[in-house]
Amino acid sequence: MSQAGTKKGAVSKINKNVAINSLIVFVVLLLAWVAGFASRLFAVIRFESIIHEFDPWFNYRATAYMVKHGFYNFLNWFDERAWYPLGRIVGGTVYPGLMLTSGSIHYILHLLHINVHIRDICVFLAPIFSGLTAISTYFLTKELWSTGAGLFAACFIAIVPGYISRSVAGSYDNEGIAIFALQFTYFLWIKSVKTGSVFWAVAASLSYFYMVSAWGGYVFIINLIPLHVFVLLLMGRFSNRLFTSYTTFYILGLVMSMQIPFVGFQPIRTSEHMAAAGVFALLFAVAVLKYLQSMLSKSEFKSLVIFGGLIAAAVVFVTVVLLTYAGYIAPWSGRFYSLWDTGYAKIHIPIIASVSEHQPTTWFSFFFDLHVLIPTFPAGLWYCIKNVNDERVFVILYALSAVYFAGVMVRLMLTLTPVVCMLSGVAFSVILELFVKDEDSNSHPDTENDETSHGGKRLYDKAGKVPKIIKHESKEQDAIGPNLRSIAAVVFVLLLMLFAVHCTWVTSNAYSSPSIVLASYGSDGTRQILDDFREAYFWLSQNTADDARVMSWWDYGYQIAGMANRTTLVDNNTWNNSHIALVGKAMSSNESAAYEIMTALDVDYVLVIFGGVIGYSGDDINKFLWMVRIAEGEHPKDIKESDYFTEHGEFRVDAEGSPTLLNCLMYKLSYYKFGELKLDYRTASGYDRTRNAVIGNKDIQLTYLEEAYTTEHWLVRIYRVKKPDEFNRPRIPVANRVIKSTFVSKKNSKRKKGVIKNKPVIVKGKKPAVKTQ
Amino acid sequence: MRRLLFTILVILSVIIYTDSQARKPSSLTERVQQLTDLASKKSVLRFNTNKFREFVKANPRNYSVIVMFTALAPQRQCQICRQASDEYTIVANSFRYSQSYSNKLFFGMVDFDEGSEVYQMLRLNTAPVFIHFPPKGKPKAADTMDIQRIGFAAEAIARWINDRTDIPIRVFRPPNYSGTLAIIILFSFVGGFLYLRRNNLEFLYNKTMWGVWALFFCFAMTSGQMWNHIRGPPFVHKNQQGQVAYIHGSSQGQFVFETYIIMALNGAVVLGMILMTEAAKGKGDPRKRKFLAILGLILISVFFSLLLSIFRTKTQGYPYSFLFK
Repeated sequence: MSQAGTKKGAVSKINKNVAINSLIVFVVLLLAWVAGFASRLFAVIRFESIIHEFDPWFNYRATAYMVKHGFYNFLNWFDERAWYPLGRIVGGTVYPGLMLTSGSIHYILHLLHINVHIRDICVFLAPIFSGLTAISTYFLTKELWSTGAGLFAACFIAIVPGYISRSVAGSYDNEGIAIFALQFTYFLWIKSVKTGSVFWAVAASLSYFYMVSAWGGYVFIINLIPLHVFVLLLMGRFSNRLFTSYTTFYILGLVMSMQIPFVGFQPIRTSEHMAAAGVFALLFAVAVLKYLQSMLSKSEFKSLVIFGGLIAAAVVFVTVVLLTYAGYIAPWSGRFYSLWDTGYAKIHIPIIASVSEHQPTTWFSFFFDLHVLIPTFPAGLWYCIKNVNDERVFVILYALSAVYFAGVMVRLMLTLTPVVCMLSGVAFSVILELFVKDEDSNSHPDTENDETSHGGKRLYDKAGKVPKIIKHESKEQDAIGPNLRSIAAVVFVLLLMLFAVHCTWVTSNAYSSPSIVLASYGSDGTRQILDDFREAYFWLSQNTADDARVMSWWDYGYQIAGMANRTTLVDNNTWNNSHIALVGKAMSSNESAAYEIMTALDVDYVLVIFGGVIGYSGDDINKFLWMVRIAEGEHPKDIKESDYFTEHGEFRVDAEGSPTLLNCLMYKLSYYKFGELKLDYRTASGYDRTRNAVIGNKDIQLTYLEEAYTTEHWLVRIYRVKKPDEFNRPRIPVANRVIKSTFVSKKNSKRKKGVIKNKPVIVKGKKPAVKTQ
Repeated sequence: MRRLLFTILVILSVIIYTDSQARKPSSLTERVQQLTDLASKKSVLRFNTNKFREFVKANPRNYSVIVMFTALAPQRQCQICRQASDEYTIVANSFRYSQSYSNKLFFGMVDFDEGSEVYQMLRLNTAPVFIHFPPKGKPKAADTMDIQRIGFAAEAIARWINDRTDIPIRVFRPPNYSGTLAIIILFSFVGGFLYLRRNNLEFLYNKTMWGVWALFFCFAMTSGQMWNHIRGPPFVHKNQQGQVAYIHGSSQGQFVFETYIIMALNGAVVLGMILMTEAAKGKGDPRKRKFLAILGLILISVFFSLLLSIFRTKTQGYPYSFLFK
């Protein structure tokens, strides 16, 4: 802007335009950041600044540990409070990027004497990073298409539910920062492909390094970028720029990614990373051929390409296969494999299939998470294909692969969201550029573009400014009349407004529950907070021994460790299937069999989640079949899934349920004393609101356990496991106590005089003769 | 006269004797021998009513029989029976060529058209049904495989058999060459096609074709075809009154037809956007362009509103709609 004042004439006019443009861009991005940040705060405003559900609790605990003990101690941290009795090497099994990010923010703020608690940094980290994601999406889209499309994309991604679902305040998880790293890496990669400069390629690999340190989804990058290079080669778009950027990126990225302890040697030893290496080799082969082409005749070259290419491909393929067989390269891991063979996980890995995030996606979820972007992004894709160039090939491949993965797994909707925002941005920008035109023919096309997007953007925040856009398109244009233009503008503005309100509605209703604090609404709209989880965990932390071991299903492992600070047997890091199966077996066997397992595992307390009183559907009885299935996978002799169904194959908790179910530990612990509880006068006692049934086993006696604590709404129930000397020795009321004894006193009123037993008898008589000498 | 009577008596007694000889159930060892011979020829034995009585119903037995009750005749139109039969044959063959092969377990099948009396005898009115006939006693409830719950994949059948008889069968699927073959054929077809048109490969640079393919792929994915592929929902839902529901009521599920509707709606919106852009951008007859622009706008607004209202019916308490309720 300072330049604009110094120059004169046409130059100064252009500069002025540039200045206004950059001001607009700056303002729009700032507003996008603010809007994105604000819409992620529902949970904080409704409840409090609290870490959400499961995994974030572990991340928070690890961050707190790192802040307290320093980074190197964190890397060497052996957590003996998890996976008892195995323990867990935390430093080597986490992606430390998240902890490092918030730890360094904490460090800097404390240097500046801003004493923020680490928990608040953790809570607000994801919303702050969403702004950075919006900015990097802007830059990426700008490289691909235009500034206007970039602004649209930035605004879309700031508020789109598909991304908000993983980045609301309090959802302190890897994905929150990883999407920023993903988009930024892609931006730098596109920049380096465009310029062919080593600088941008190095920057891309540094950003890739950050991504590797933050999230396992980095595999997506290391496969997508080689795919991009490969397709460019196929299309005959080889260039020295491509060669420079990919070779630099690959080598630096490879070396740096291996510095993360959790990743280690995987980049050179697993199949997921082999494509990148193959493309690296291929790129060299092509470069050599290109060089030879300048020296050989055409026919010689042709045969060389055909034979050389075939031989090289065969050699590479055979090598990879041989190395895989020899065990140097690990085959695809189950999670990745299930992306290709979609029926694989269901049959072979129940623990993956049991996670609801790993289910395929319905069209409903797509629309729910992306709304207007779903029917519009193919238009953007269409224009990218129609006007293809090197970097647009990238976005096409990104869109096609991400849309496939999102179809297979709900969870991967997250990787689809950015590209959908970008392509929708392109589509909206193209169409509004044509329809919402400033008739001032002198003006620079970029300006209009910015202003339209700006207007569009404004509308999500402040719906009152509609007329601003309509003002722009006023005059007659050759084919499309002004009326049509204004109608079109109104329709698009309405669509964008619908998108904005939809995003807010979804965020507010679906994605803003901390899930450790539940809220229920009465008929008159009053809100009741159910804080049972924290109640129970606080009880555990105050009333149990410091080294007490708590058994629960793995979902609650991180929370128990994070909030109650007690040792758990299994947790959400599901690395050991057999251990989980053992817990599942204990939960699904009868009490005495479970007691054997529990004593073998040194369990002191058992914690179950029970939603029958308040109608909470995510409780342990509803998850129970997965416990049985996982247990059956490891102990097929003892646990059989079919035993838990009725003869008609139904899973019922009422009197018709199978006897095995009605007597297993989980059932007993969930419904202990529930049969006596009458919830309201209309229903029978022991009526389970979640499953809408009166329970089948109302008279539950516990031999080996005793109830230790049940929270206000019965949501969490904690039982103490008795020591071997405590059970089977029922307490007898004082009145009934009989002391058996065989001794009968011979004293009575007549014979007051006592006798001495075994009294030595003195024989009276003559004095023994004294020998005289 | 007496002679005649005597001869008749003798003849009769001989006839009765031979008759009873024929009717008398063959002994256990004979039956096992027969079954073993049959099984060595064919892993799944076909039983008609008589054979069923002889081998499966007869007592005593020291072997288990797994019987699949099915209806394979084309006029019965039982698609599922065919699939079940394939899976069942895989299990039987796996057993036949496995280490644990013995004469303690035999696989049989009864086709409805050959043994309808057996169906009546066992009061079966559906097919396919898998029943295990244990060596002692009658089949219990658990001896009928629960297809509804565990399905009839070969692995599931093998696990069920292991459950009932304690004979482990490791399912060995004959390697399925059809997929590989299809891919090879496809590749050779494409390769041959390219070779034939090697002088005219312009169509490979046809962006419209690539664009249409890419868009189609996107529509297929975003309309949940992958979900259909994995979960296999019904095409449409018919309730008892004969009314047909095209849209699944809850947000958790979808019907195949519903996904086609969604695909079409998404496609129409995209088409509208492209039409509008081309109309505003292109050169040519102004009236035609204007018409296209209007058409595009209508496509976008109408079909997006339809999409939104379908979405609304599946979401409880969703407050927003556009044009239609």
